[in-house]
Amino acid sequence: MHGSYGMYRRGFARVALLGALALGFACTKQTATTSPTDDDSTLDPATDQQSGKEAATIVLRGATVMTAAGDRYAPGVVVIVGDAITAVGAVDGADAIEIPEQATIVELGAEQVITPGIIDTHSHMGVYASPGLKAHSDGNEMAGPVTAYVRAEDGFWPQDPQLNHALAGGVTSAQILPGSANLIGGRSFTIKLRPNPRAAEDLRFADAPAGLKIACGENPKRVYGEKGGPVTRMGNVAGYRKAFQEAVEYQRKWASYERKRVAWEAKDKTQSDNKPEGDAAEQPEPPGRDFGLETLAGVLDGEILVHMHCYRADEMLLMLDLADSYGFSIRSFHHAAEAYKIADVLAARGTAASIWADWWGFKLEAYDGVRENAALLTRAGGRAIIHSDSAEGIQRLNQEASKAMHAGRKAGVEITDEQALAWITINPAWALGVDERTGSLEPGKAADIVVWSGDPFSVYTRAERVYIDGALVFDRASERPRSDFDLGLRDDLRGAP
Amino acid sequence: MNYRLLALIPTLLLSSTPGLAAAPPQAAPVSTPARVDAPIILTNATIHVGDGVVLDGGSILIQAGKITRIEAGAITGVAQATTVDLGGKLVTPGLIAADTDLGLVEISGEDTTHDNARKDEGAIKAGYNAASAINADSSLLAIQAIAGVTTAAVAPRGGLISGEVAWIDLLAGDHATLVASPRVAVVANFGRSFASSRAASLAELRKAFEDAAWYRANQRGYERGDARELIAHPADLRALWPVLDKAAPLIVRAHRASDLLALVELKAALGIEITIVGAAEGWKVREQLAAAKITVVIQPTDNLPSSFDTLGARLDNAALLHEAGVTVAIAHFSSHNARNITQEAGVAVANGLPRDAALAAVTLNVARAYGMDHEYGTLAPGKVASLVVWDGLDPFELSTAAEQVYVRGRALDMRSRQTQLRDRYLDLERF
Repeated sequence: MHGSYGMYRRGFARVALLGALALGFACTKQTATTSPTDDDSTLDPATDQQSGKEAATIVLRGATVMTAAGDRYAPGVVVIVGDAITAVGAVDGADAIEIPEQATIVELGAEQVITPGIIDTHSHMGVYASPGLKAHSDGNEMAGPVTAYVRAEDGFWPQDPQLNHALAGGVTSAQILPGSANLIGGRSFTIKLRPNPRAAEDLRFADAPAGLKIACGENPKRVYGEKGGPVTRMGNVAGYRKAFQEAVEYQRKWASYERKRVAWEAKDKTQSDNKPEGDAAEQPEPPGRDFGLETLAGVLDGEILVHMHCYRADEMLLMLDLADSYGFSIRSFHHAAEAYKIADVLAARGTAASIWADWWGFKLEAYDGVRENAALLTRAGGRAIIHSDSAEGIQRLNQEASKAMHAGRKAGVEITDEQALAWITINPAWALGVDERTGSLEPGKAADIVVWSGDPFSVYTRAERVYIDGALVFDRASERPRSDFDLGLRDDLRGAP
Repeated sequence: MNYRLLALIPTLLLSSTPGLAAAPPQAAPVSTPARVDAPIILTNATIHVGDGVVLDGGSILIQAGKITRIEAGAITGVAQATTVDLGGKLVTPGLIAADTDLGLVEISGEDTTHDNARKDEGAIKAGYNAASAINADSSLLAIQAIAGVTTAAVAPRGGLISGEVAWIDLLAGDHATLVASPRVAVVANFGRSFASSRAASLAELRKAFEDAAWYRANQRGYERGDARELIAHPADLRALWPVLDKAAPLIVRAHRASDLLALVELKAALGIEITIVGAAEGWKVREQLAAAKITVVIQPTDNLPSSFDTLGARLDNAALLHEAGVTVAIAHFSSHNARNITQEAGVAVANGLPRDAALAAVTLNVARAYGMDHEYGTLAPGKVASLVVWDGLDPFELSTAAEQVYVRGRALDMRSRQTQLRDRYLDLERF
């Protein structure tokens, strides 16, 4: 089994390369390996690609399909070609999907449910790895309150055993963030939970935008209160202002340089037409590059998405004002324990709230957390997301969404299963800027898929199969992928659930 | 440090009557008049007694905070009784939360709201009794209670031996009767909690019990100044006597398999009752734990190698322990969400624990873990009337919530600070 994953890994680059091709082929003709009963073949969908054939076709059939795009098919069908979904529909009736010939068909039970892969907007896996040792504390660059120049991927340990546990919980993508000790903690990156990485780059969600971690409230002032500040929330806000003001000036410097360079090039061209030697002495000097300010400038330009740790309603409103004054937008508040108090504003502003189902009270700014938070935000038209911030919680985001959904229903807020599913799939995909490519089961999207043993909102349900980019990366019937750390230390857990 | 001078301070109030759920030592405040509730009959219920027996259409009679009758059919002829027809709804014993700091910690990040540890230098704080510090007005109480947690063990932290465990009924706001018993057990932390060495911790634990026994036998000599130097203040040693008498268990927090085996030996050597809390690697030594009749309290979702002491953590720990014959209790080790023990139990069931065992794990077995099963944990005549009426037929399922909770015979007002916050913001038009 371990060898199969190895094969899968070797095949991966090919899948990624050919993915785009597969998308192109999707609507025309599908041919692939014809071994409908041999599941092992699905572990290496790229096998035939090497011999020049087209991408492998896998058909998941017979389970209820919840697309997170508004549709439910029972029983349904999902067709995967290479790394992409090419068709989603019903087994019979008006929405029936024609099963491609020569596909590997995975027959599922009527009690099983297929959903998009779970996506977590808030994880510190890899930067706060297990075991939680000093040597593994790589998530907070507490060298100063503004460290926009660091990147989570540079502190990420790909052998973190937590990753495979998250995968077994149906998680296919996660945003890896720096911690919240700093006002501006640095860049985040988004991963796909492919097994057996050797580097952070092996997990990178290709072309996903970077995020910027900003933290409000208690943490920065606590950490820096006796280390030169910020000491208060006033100091926190002054710190963001100062940082973004510097970014504005940095942008201005570069814009000025760009203007001069363009002018010089134009002038140089004119001159060189007349005088072959030109005048190199007048060439403008570029300003020094500053990675931190470049990151903040990326935020001002809308290229880097802001993920802001912020619990209290009043503080979120303050941060929305601050963002307005610098002309950037906040993609998602994180933790947002009091989002329900300003659900209307968050809805109107289009800022998502990544929240827990029921965490509260571990600090004062989390004191007003309620279990109906996600439901109330959803009812107001806002974009709610259930996040984990926990390597335990990430293994059961479906259950967390379920608790939040049922709490809402019991308070009289109508929340459908589909809406609750969106909290852990398409909504987080949007917050991470990857909703065009994953987060729902729709033709053309990446085949990031979970097959559950039953209703994903039941406490008894487990992820049985997980596909990432069309590859079967977790199969409960086989062994869970193991990191290097597990070897020799957790051997007796082989076969454990 | 020599504690002999300190020993002259009278410590009569600390004398222990553990395991008996005695009335709390505090005098009842005048503001809360003693109340005699009318008898309540819950009828037409699906009653899961908690010992595997299910009564369809059963009835429970509650009088003066106790269950006095439980019948498969109707109960009639009780004068002045209020009868509640539950229409077939599920009733279980109230959930019991193990190893909490309910009422001792309001906000984890704010030290000034903490009373859960005696922060002196000593490692042996066995006589630290936090019962008087438990705040009945803590917001955590109602938040857990309306989710079905009727009872909790409140245990201090810190040091090698942290102090005495109190047993509470989750009657939020009721300062007079919240504490059902101020000392039911003594709680300790194994592993590297003393001198940064587990071997030193074990030696120190043994010494503490030796000194407790020596002091008991030599009190007069001690008070005359004719004594050896003791490991701890006599008040802290005295608190260990009920453990030596097997009248109260020693609750020990530990995870690593080697630590659990050390505790199996300690139990045999001292002839005491031990409950292990944590036990992430319990499954590795399940045969020994079963043979030693040690009850374990675990958190089933605890499956990560968070430290080198828990490399063997796994989701089916509960199932493996149970299968081997170990008495398993289930907890969620975060007091703010102690209510999530139903989800923990569900996860244990999803990973192989039989349903009946899971219900016992959040009720009877928690009572057993603290030596309180004579009064709590099942629905039986004579036991405290703490029970839950559920709005679904499976208490572990995420769609099920407590519809009405009874604590010590009282129907709770099913509101908490959280429901009030929710209700305030249900309609944003007013803002």
